[in-house]
Amino acid sequence: MPVVVPPPDPAGLPAPAWLLQVLLVFTFILHVVAMNLLVGGTTIMAISLRKGQNSPFHAELAARLAKALPVTMSLTITLGIAPLLFVQVLYGQAFYTASILMAWPWLSVVALVLLAYYGLYLVQFRPDWLGRWVTPIAWVSAVLILLVGLLYTHNATLKLAPEKWASLYAMSPAGLHLNWSEPTLIPRFLHFMVAAFAVTGLGVALMGLLAKRSQDAWGQEAVTYGTRWFIGATLLQMAVGLWFLFSLPNNLMQNFLGGNLLNTLILWGGVALAVIALLLANRSVLGALGLTVLAITLMSITRHSLRELYLQPHLDVRTIPVNPQWTVFGIFAVVLVVGLAVVGWMVWQFVKASQSSQESIA
Amino acid sequence: MEYPFWDVPLLGGGMLIGIIAILHVFVAHFAIGAGLFLVLTERKARRQHDTALLGYLKRHSTFFILVVLVFGAVSGVGIWWAIGLVHPTATSALIHIFVWAWAIEWVFFIVELLAAFIYYYGWNRMDARTHLTVGWIYFAGAWLSLFMINGILTFMLTTGNWTETRSIVDAFFNPSMLPSLLVRTAVTIALAGLYALITASAEADEELRARVVKYASKWVLVGISIIPFGGIWYILSIPEQAREISMGGAPVVTLFAAASVVFSAFVLLATLLGPFLFPRRFHVTFAFVIVALGLITTGVTEWVREAVRKPYIIYDYMYSNAVRTEEVQQVWERGVLGSAKWALLTEEEKQDPLTVGERVFRFHCQSCHTVNGFNGIKFAVKGWKKDFLDIQLQNLDQLKGYMPPFLGTDEERRALVEWLYSLNNPPQQTAARP
Repeated sequence: MPVVVPPPDPAGLPAPAWLLQVLLVFTFILHVVAMNLLVGGTTIMAISLRKGQNSPFHAELAARLAKALPVTMSLTITLGIAPLLFVQVLYGQAFYTASILMAWPWLSVVALVLLAYYGLYLVQFRPDWLGRWVTPIAWVSAVLILLVGLLYTHNATLKLAPEKWASLYAMSPAGLHLNWSEPTLIPRFLHFMVAAFAVTGLGVALMGLLAKRSQDAWGQEAVTYGTRWFIGATLLQMAVGLWFLFSLPNNLMQNFLGGNLLNTLILWGGVALAVIALLLANRSVLGALGLTVLAITLMSITRHSLRELYLQPHLDVRTIPVNPQWTVFGIFAVVLVVGLAVVGWMVWQFVKASQSSQESIA
Repeated sequence: MEYPFWDVPLLGGGMLIGIIAILHVFVAHFAIGAGLFLVLTERKARRQHDTALLGYLKRHSTFFILVVLVFGAVSGVGIWWAIGLVHPTATSALIHIFVWAWAIEWVFFIVELLAAFIYYYGWNRMDARTHLTVGWIYFAGAWLSLFMINGILTFMLTTGNWTETRSIVDAFFNPSMLPSLLVRTAVTIALAGLYALITASAEADEELRARVVKYASKWVLVGISIIPFGGIWYILSIPEQAREISMGGAPVVTLFAAASVVFSAFVLLATLLGPFLFPRRFHVTFAFVIVALGLITTGVTEWVREAVRKPYIIYDYMYSNAVRTEEVQQVWERGVLGSAKWALLTEEEKQDPLTVGERVFRFHCQSCHTVNGFNGIKFAVKGWKKDFLDIQLQNLDQLKGYMPPFLGTDEERRALVEWLYSLNNPPQQTAARP
């Protein structure tokens, strides 16, 4: 079978490739943090709903998560739009092709997200309707969200394998392929999902830290519980991460083992930050949180470098002509700053109002 | 022809997009109008110290976030998913031409979304003034999202000066952009009222229910009365051929265009004779009937808007089958299979006319036609003889103005004729005849 790669769009790139790549990686980081909190949060909520029958701590944690998760879902979706836009600009040739090969499973993501989302709202708004079905419904949402993650991993890995495309398409144009034969599929999926539980652990610990002012005992327990999730998941990640690294094709793997100094430094720098965060977690939640955000940043850059390494033999964004639209980019930049300021103002007003309404209750 | 073609049996990819898009549009327009409805009604209720009305608004806003933030947002992403799968080349064109416009829309969407959450969760926490301000920010963000999407969507039908200048300003501020914006804004107001009829009719307090039903019906009537003005302006701004298709050029499209007008009139009449004149007797079932009429109106109208764009997917730039107008000569010289790298025929398969014909159909025709489902080709060519099929194919764009020219080689055309003929006359039967 020949390797067939669609030609780049004749319109060219609307900005230099590096700028689009910076925007892609930056918005991906925002999306991935929200996604982590959603994935881990939904599962932990399901666990706490069950345990909450005997434990006031878990009942309270489940109630707080139930309130936060629909907004988290919404943020995950919305923050995912920008990286998906920039992926289509830069790597559309790979993205559309891989998506078409797995069209039905890929389209089902929309339905799965919709169901999971309504599940979260049911748990938040109507636990009285659901009765003893609350926990199972929460589990359904959790499993659907994990399934969406798995489908994303199929898409991401298929996108990086142009040599598979033609033979899969020749087999069937019905859009029912998946990428099960890919050796990196499972370790890659686990790598992202295990990270989600670590980040959510820190999220729960942070929730506890903030709650300490009004509910000291619950807050302290949440800090301990969240930190335990973070430590457990990060320890497990040491194994999963290595598995993912060693599942890569040898020539690509070497880039991260000294073959390419920059790639190696960024990856192992991220690992080192995670290890320090691990050692610090019991003493300072905020310190561990800061280091984890930095580690996510370095890991996201590594993810991007890996994509480039996979695709460069077949499509190289540096060869696509650039037709910059600086004026409209300028308008975007201004709108972004104003938009974030407006969002900041609203959130500030909301927090202020929430605090004063809590005080008036107290 | 640059991308693999996704074969969606029976329904066809276009119809798949249509189903997702119509449901999305019906909710998304409500999302915008509801913003205005909530703030104006909240202001009214606060000024008149009308706690009953405020109570209704709180309940209405729960319905609002469950419909808008969940179904509206997710189905919007769903359209993007579907168009990328069905029309990757056109989607790529829209993405590349409008990257920063999409990025701007994304910022408006984030503002809209967070404002909606804060407005909803802020009912019992924020002071009245701040709460109303957040409501206004929501409406502004939502309407500006429409402003951005509308510019990109209308570009597909009226590319205007862009085909020469290739400037994004010309692309965005295209000839039908403003009239379409007016129509869609009017629709948002009508839909805000329509959805409010549902929640209003579910209110327990009889006096409040009658009051809100009457009030909501006025929104529907005001919105609908603006639509014809925008509609006529819109029709005047679209290409002549597109106008002709909707007014007799293609019977089915004309029928649907007429249906759009008729169903709009039904919505108007039903609202006038129901909730407006007799708000006390209004029932939730009747609300759903009007909403169903509204959904049908939206469906047929959006369908016509898509249909009149034929034979293009992006007017004067790209045909429905993803061939760019500037590539016509090149494809014509190389043939369909010489251009479509994803045809992936083996040397053996290239010798079989039926296989060649099927593959030409897939890459040249299937973006609009299914084999035996929606716009099915088997039914369309029933009873056609081979030489008639051949003449039709040779003069496709001349005989049917809403179809692109056939760009296959002579050999490919003959293979396609064989294959099309074989659909209604299976080969073994024809072989049995002397």
